[in-house]
Amino acid sequence: MSDDAKTVARGLQKRDPELLDRLIEQYQYRLFRYLVYLTASRERAEDFFQETWIRVLERGHQYDGKSKFEAWLFAIARHLVIDWQRQKKMQSLDALTDPEDGAPMEIADEEGPSPLRLALGREQKAKVQASLEQVPAIYREVLLLRFQEELKLEEIAKVLETPISTVKSRLYRGLESLKGVLQGGAA
Amino acid sequence: MSEGVHARAGHLIAQERVEGISPAERHWLDQHLQECERCAEQVRTTEEAVGALRAVSVPLPRSLASRAQMRVRLRVQELSEREPQRRALWLACGISWTLGIASAPYVWRAFEWIGHRTGVPKLIWEMGFGLWWTIPALVAAVVLLLENARQTDEGEWFKELS
Repeated sequence: MSDDAKTVARGLQKRDPELLDRLIEQYQYRLFRYLVYLTASRERAEDFFQETWIRVLERGHQYDGKSKFEAWLFAIARHLVIDWQRQKKMQSLDALTDPEDGAPMEIADEEGPSPLRLALGREQKAKVQASLEQVPAIYREVLLLRFQEELKLEEIAKVLETPISTVKSRLYRGLESLKGVLQGGAA
Repeated sequence: MSEGVHARAGHLIAQERVEGISPAERHWLDQHLQECERCAEQVRTTEEAVGALRAVSVPLPRSLASRAQMRVRLRVQELSEREPQRRALWLACGISWTLGIASAPYVWRAFEWIGHRTGVPKLIWEMGFGLWWTIPALVAAVVLLLENARQTDEGEWFKELS
């Protein structure tokens, strides 16, 4: 357990507001980006961002500092999104996003740009945006955790609560999918 | 060169990014890539894909962090205000259970006496005695449930407000 993780765990146990302020500041970009990838909506990502930190405060005593804080944070955010989707009587995140099972996660407006494109920002290269939109969310999520967050496979498995073998298989498929769409093919 | 060799190279190219490859595999792949333009192109495509993914940035909404910080601080305050009440509740439960244990033989006799005097069946007054024991736990559970319900309502209210 690193000293930093220990300090965070101790601070969360005490519900230290200074520590929480610092964590919010420090992880705001990464958490928001992850939520945008998960929900494909900036507005929803903003709501979940707030809720995630409230949950971090309330469940802080459960973080033992043995794993990376960001992995625990992402797991909380992911649970909130899944709970919300279940409340909305939709399918689970996995079912929603598994390309074999059905539609991708974002609820796109066919007339206008997709929520993910709007969420990612207009300055992005159109090709990359369009490519990412075509990558099923279940793969997009692992690609983000691996290549942007640079989490280890074990850490991703913890966030997703799935076996490492599943994480690997999603990563392989996600990479293939991304390569395919970047080259102009279908995901 | 057989398709199997290209397939192996293709798998190693992806494996290198996903979970890493051994030095022996690295050596084999390097040699293969020197000879095979098709697989070298695959390396470039994979690099491009990962690079594109890393290049994507998400603009942050204004005052995202400060809004979250404010909400968290308010919640910290709420929780700290509620802490003494909860402690008092558990203390009351503890005292109640301790007194319950200490007075159990007398209460049992009292229930037995009332049962005999009123002619109530044994099972009924025994159940009455059991219920007597569960009263502190029931009161605590009701208080906690009410508190949770209030928290949920407040959460919804805050969501609407913000």
